[in-house]
Amino acid sequence: MLGWEFPPFFAGGAGIVCSELSKALITQGTDILFVMPSGPDNTSSAESQNLKIIVTNNKYRNVKIRIKKIDSLLHAYATPQSYNQQYTQMINGTKKGQPKTLYGPNLKEEVYRFAEQVKLLAEEEDFDIIHAHDWVTFPAAIALKQLTGKPLVVHIHITEFDKTGGNHADPDIYAIEREGMLSADKVITVSNKIKDTCIHNYFIDPSKILVVHNAAPSMYDSPTSINTKLKENNKIVLFAGRVTLQKGPDYFVDAAKKVLEKAPDTLFILAGSGDMLNQMIEKTAKLGISNKFIFTGFYTRDQANQLFEIADVFVMPSVSEPFGLVPYEAQLKRTPTIISKQSGIGEVLYHTLKVDFWDVNQLANKILAVLHYKQLHKELKEKGYDEAKSSTWDNPATKCLNIYHNLMNNRGVI
Amino acid sequence: MVSVCFYFQVHQPHRLRDYTIFDIGHRDDYFDEEKNKQIIQKVASKCYLPTNKLLLHLINQSKGEFKVTFSITGTALEQMEKYSPETLESFKALARTGCVEFLSETYNHSLSYLFSKTEFKEQVELHKNKIKQLFDFTPTAFRNTELIFNNELAKFVEDMGYTAIVAEGADHILRERTPNFIYNPVNSNIKVLLKNYRLSDDIAFRFSNKGWAEHPLTTEKFVNWLNQVNGNGELVNLFMDYETFGEHQWEDTGIFKFLEHLPSKVLEHPHNNFVTVSEAADKYESRGIVDIHNFISWADLERDLTAWLGNPLQDSAIQELYKLEQYIKATGDKKLLDDWRKLTTSDHYYYMCTKWFSDGDVHKYFNPYDSPYEAYIIFMNVLNDFTRRIRSKLDSQSKQNELRVKKAEMLLMTDTPSRILTN
Repeated sequence: MLGWEFPPFFAGGAGIVCSELSKALITQGTDILFVMPSGPDNTSSAESQNLKIIVTNNKYRNVKIRIKKIDSLLHAYATPQSYNQQYTQMINGTKKGQPKTLYGPNLKEEVYRFAEQVKLLAEEEDFDIIHAHDWVTFPAAIALKQLTGKPLVVHIHITEFDKTGGNHADPDIYAIEREGMLSADKVITVSNKIKDTCIHNYFIDPSKILVVHNAAPSMYDSPTSINTKLKENNKIVLFAGRVTLQKGPDYFVDAAKKVLEKAPDTLFILAGSGDMLNQMIEKTAKLGISNKFIFTGFYTRDQANQLFEIADVFVMPSVSEPFGLVPYEAQLKRTPTIISKQSGIGEVLYHTLKVDFWDVNQLANKILAVLHYKQLHKELKEKGYDEAKSSTWDNPATKCLNIYHNLMNNRGVI
Repeated sequence: MVSVCFYFQVHQPHRLRDYTIFDIGHRDDYFDEEKNKQIIQKVASKCYLPTNKLLLHLINQSKGEFKVTFSITGTALEQMEKYSPETLESFKALARTGCVEFLSETYNHSLSYLFSKTEFKEQVELHKNKIKQLFDFTPTAFRNTELIFNNELAKFVEDMGYTAIVAEGADHILRERTPNFIYNPVNSNIKVLLKNYRLSDDIAFRFSNKGWAEHPLTTEKFVNWLNQVNGNGELVNLFMDYETFGEHQWEDTGIFKFLEHLPSKVLEHPHNNFVTVSEAADKYESRGIVDIHNFISWADLERDLTAWLGNPLQDSAIQELYKLEQYIKATGDKKLLDDWRKLTTSDHYYYMCTKWFSDGDVHKYFNPYDSPYEAYIIFMNVLNDFTRRIRSKLDSQSKQNELRVKKAEMLLMTDTPSRILTN
């Protein structure tokens, strides 16, 4: 399995998916070799008898790899500005709990370096299937398939189209994504929404694409140190995610303005950082509601859990969300959720409220309803918890295994 | 001898518009007239008009031997009057044949029996008057909303003067007995006609199901099953939604052809005939007692009340609604009472049912909202505005002593939904 991150050495949703999926696959009898470019020297904390992790930048530290320079600072999950920001943050390693990573400033260079390293690795490791997550691993995956002839499954968690809303998609990334999908024997997408993108924007044969919806990430108890005084006089509405165009923070702020007109004792927490954060802070000031807002900036997973615990409702107004795991985490903390109809998770999540991301009136209406109709709050809280709790990774793992088996049968491996 | 008793249910609710919290205090047109109009016109053209035409033809062709029973809710009749007068005319034409019986039920297709016996009686009376006015027919047999039924209800309805009532032939109340006889409930002489759900559902649900072993269902096959009742039953009660014809089972499934050939096939057998609900009750004696302590209905697999009641959303919504009854009646305001009654329609609570996630695409099919939560939010927003209107009405009338007391009481109600957002 080729990935870019693996908990606890991770940054985002794809990392969680890699880890949860691997665990479930292992339970169902699969051995996994997880290969990623960067991470700590010692990965044993995350390994087990059936899971081996290789960090190529460490393993091949002394191997000189020459790569043609490509000038770009684009990151898998960010716009150029925030890549710079994150890069600075990573180098400094100032945030507690956030691992120092070793990425160079040029992501595309990293991507090709990883491909070269993986080729070296192919000489010493044996495997039956190549399963690659998102474009950053595709050059490596394609190289590996060419070298070994093993079947390739590419797993699409997000596309360049989702990140940019279809505007100004980076042509290099688009090309890598498409090449990966074309080279693959099967393409897995995390939602029907992404499947449609692959069909209509990448022109991939629909019969080659299989949807494997994500499941709920496993939660752990985190120490509670949050100030519960906030709760005493206020109902709390939470946004938690990257503060970028894709996540729809401005719709959250607009809805807050409307909610506050009806229910002034409401507090809004906008957690996360991103290139729109300053703009959002200015916007709340302009609307005269900054005293009702808390901006947390970057948060750790522990902090996220605490935020879910104190929130009365979690809102994910994403403009485009290939899947979006976070509502599961909120529901596991017994917090009702409101998600945009443009979120892939909505295809499998029922005990939630859904709105069009642009429909600020409806969003405010639903926030007020959850906060003030007690039975509604109770029902969403309880049913939502049960729903997330019963969403396990066995299901997606079984689907992946079926895909593996079919591919291996076709090649006469079994 | 086998008598075949067809009873068709005709009902359309007044669906609510997408009413948000921001509409409270600004508009009181709660019902989505445009959508309701579209739906009744669509159903009229697919089902009511063509099926009525066919039934009229069959009655005439059989020289009155073919007979059917209808129960048409007040809310459906109102919408026909407004948006599909030709449909109403075609029902009137059927009524004039004398081969059609109309049942009594609550005007608003409500669950009022469970929440207010006073309101129940008033709605039944309203409905009875409407049927008399439109069809010049005085009902003597009763149908409660969704065939909700138990011993006490039967007794209550008998005391209101009815001689027959329809109910679901649920397995657990029959205990191995056949639904093909008339029964009496415990402690009551009213005659109960029980739905033969196997044969009814063969038409209503399974007719077009290609996965069903008996598909396609021909008239011959079905009449053969009816004839087999000879010797161990007297009466086959085929109860179903009228929308089965042309709406649930589309025309291209052959449902109209099936119906068209049914009467003559049934009547080929010299001992067979068709009866209406009251005729069946007059003709046949009770063959036993059914003891129905817990409520039954004709919904879902459970055949109980859980399609409308039981989850906290449904329960809180309907309880809040019925709390308002006495205050509305105290205002004497007709428009308020009319709006309130439209909210008593069972469909609003059906839309809030959360069990359809596992139990039934049936619920999903009939739900105009995205989710039960959506339905609840809209309903509660409407109820908030409604409460506001009652208060202001009581305010303006508060010179009268009694009303002032009412208003004071109402303000004391701790869990009225309206406590939010009066600003």
